[in-house]
Amino acid sequence: MTHLASLFVLLLMTAPVYGQASFRTADGHPDLQGIWTSASVVPLERPASLKGKEFYTEQEAAENAKRVLGMSSWERLGSQAPEHYNMSQYGLDLSQAKVASTLRTSLIVGPEGRVPPLTPEAQKRIAERAARNRGHQFDGPENRPLQERCLIYSSEGPPMLPSAYNSNLQIVQDADHVVVLQEMIHSARIIPTDGSPHLAQSVRQWYGDSRGHWEGDTLVVDTTNFTDKTAFRGSTANLHLIERFRRIDKDTIVYEFTAEDPATWTRPWTAQIQLVRIEGPLFEFACHEGNQGVANTLSGARAAENVSK
Amino acid sequence: MRTKLMSLAVFAGLILSVAPAGAHHSFAAEFDINRPLKLRGTVTTMEWVNPHSWIHIDVKGADGKVVSWMVEGGSPNALLRLGFNKSALPPGSEVVVEGFQARDGSNRAVGQSVSFADGRKLFLGGTAEGAHGDTDKNDK
Repeated sequence: MTHLASLFVLLLMTAPVYGQASFRTADGHPDLQGIWTSASVVPLERPASLKGKEFYTEQEAAENAKRVLGMSSWERLGSQAPEHYNMSQYGLDLSQAKVASTLRTSLIVGPEGRVPPLTPEAQKRIAERAARNRGHQFDGPENRPLQERCLIYSSEGPPMLPSAYNSNLQIVQDADHVVVLQEMIHSARIIPTDGSPHLAQSVRQWYGDSRGHWEGDTLVVDTTNFTDKTAFRGSTANLHLIERFRRIDKDTIVYEFTAEDPATWTRPWTAQIQLVRIEGPLFEFACHEGNQGVANTLSGARAAENVSK
Repeated sequence: MRTKLMSLAVFAGLILSVAPAGAHHSFAAEFDINRPLKLRGTVTTMEWVNPHSWIHIDVKGADGKVVSWMVEGGSPNALLRLGFNKSALPPGSEVVVEGFQARDGSNRAVGQSVSFADGRKLFLGGTAEGAHGDTDKNDK
């Protein structure tokens, strides 16, 4: 009887915790675990036609989603690539993915809704880099973009952005870590949440060094220690990112990042993306496995040079 | 030709500077818009590899000679989500490939659109969970 009574008391004590089981881990932290997609019908930057309008009405948002999902992949991506394979035939079109409903008119928040102007220093730096590359894009593998070389995908981050397809990620937690696994193209970012400090400034990493902590129900991740190899929209190795993850219901995490780099932008800027829960699993995207793109691109360039000789 | 290569480079740069990018690499750099082709052949193997699948087909020419081609397609991830697997395209399947040949003139092509001999599009017929629209709107 005593046993039964203690069991009853135990149940009473734990009931509130179990009541929020889908939102809390056994450690009591918000539970962000699951498989999510960042696919979005909203562009990063607000179109000029929507200047000053940060939010749609519900009806406008529905119309926008219908319009965007009704486009061909090429209209949506803003570039014509008639040589490309048919995106929808291979299950890669946005209309074939799950997307969040949002009233936002751009992922970037605030009245401008656009990446702030580049500083004069950044303009010069970016122009010089472009000048160095000009005419050398096809010299060898090292001249090809990181994404084409399967080193890092432009959208996997940090900061994370929707990709043209397979915008899928998985979050796993234990008491002292949060891991963000990106399907494209393979990174597993391990974020300590144990209060440990950033690595020494001399240690530089392609994904930076991320450290997390909990502020109420929000996971706040601070990332520094980038290299100069992975410029995010022209940023330097001193890019400082603050990301926030907040689960607002069973199927949604609001993900927000603020990018700060005084050598690149005239002010910090913030974007917000809704992550929607999807059924798994993630699939391995071992990008090097059959990456013939680099070799074919370079051999194509050599063939073109031979014709021109 | 130099001008053409330069404009190609500029084009590739533009594609890579927009986010999100269209694909893992620039198809304009790999395949030649001036070399459209239509191949009817028999599947010998399909490579379910990342970042792009490759379908190998044997194509019999008018002279009876068989020529092997490699056709680049989408990533396996999404095909798996559409419900397809390694047995979806068994060797011996007759397919029709519409696409563009590699810039280096080799027997490689992008499979812009791939159909079975009876006209049914390969891989179509499914959408991912929670998806919205039709699956064929990018057809030309």
